[in-house]
Amino acid sequence: MILKNNLKEVRQKNGLTQEELGNYVGVSRQTIISIERYRYKPTLELAMKIAAKLNTKIEKLFFFE
Amino acid sequence: MTISKKETSILIEIFYSVVFALVFLPYFYENQNKNLILMDGLMDIIIQIVISSVIYFAVCYSILEIVFKRKESRDERDDMIDSKSYKLGYLLYELSLFIIIGYICSQLQNKELLNLTGNHELYNSFQLTDGGIVFLILVLLASISIIKSLYHFYLHRTN
Repeated sequence: MILKNNLKEVRQKNGLTQEELGNYVGVSRQTIISIERYRYKPTLELAMKIAAKLNTKIEKLFFFE
Repeated sequence: MTISKKETSILIEIFYSVVFALVFLPYFYENQNKNLILMDGLMDIIIQIVISSVIYFAVCYSILEIVFKRKESRDERDDMIDSKSYKLGYLLYELSLFIIIGYICSQLQNKELLNLTGNHELYNSFQLTDGGIVFLILVLLASISIIKSLYHFYLHRTN
C-alpha cells in the first residue's frame, strides 16, 4: 500500500499556488512539490494544517492505494 | 534546472572539498615519509588553508545572499534530509576510524615482522610517520565530506 494524495487538485480548486499554500502552512514550495509528487510523507501536524487550509478532511486528502 | 539556495550552498561545499583535495593534498602526499616537525613549510600550508577557506566561504555566501534575495525558511523536510545525510556522514566517520586504526596496527605489525626476519636495514628504513597518518586522515575527511555533500544534494533533488 502506498500513501498518495490529491493535494494538487484540491489546491488548484482552492485557487492557491504551491508557494501560497507553503507560506500558509509554514513550509517551502519544494516541500509542497515533494508532497504532491508522493516523494515526501508529511507529518501528521503538517497534513492537518494543509487539510484545514484547503477546507477539507485529512482522510479525503491523503489515502492509501 | 532550477536550483534552490540550499542546493547551491551544498554545491559550494562540494566544490571547495574537491579544490582542497586537489590543491593541498599533494603537499601532504609528498611529505608522507616525514614527521610533522620535519615538514618544510607546514605552517605556511596551514595558514593558506585557513585563509583560503575563510575568503572562499565569505565571498560565496555573500554572493549567495545577493543572488537569492528571498530568505528560505527551514521546514520539517529540510530537517529530515539533514538527518539522513548526517547519519551517512556519521557512519562514514566511524568506518574511517577503523581504517585509520587498522592502518596504524598493520604498519606496526609489518615493522615487527621485519625485525624478526633480522633484516635490520629494511627494518630501520620502515617508518610509521606522522606525515603518513596525517595524509590518510586528510584523504578520508575530504572523501567523506564530498560523499556526504553529494548525498545531501541528491536527497534535496529527489525528495
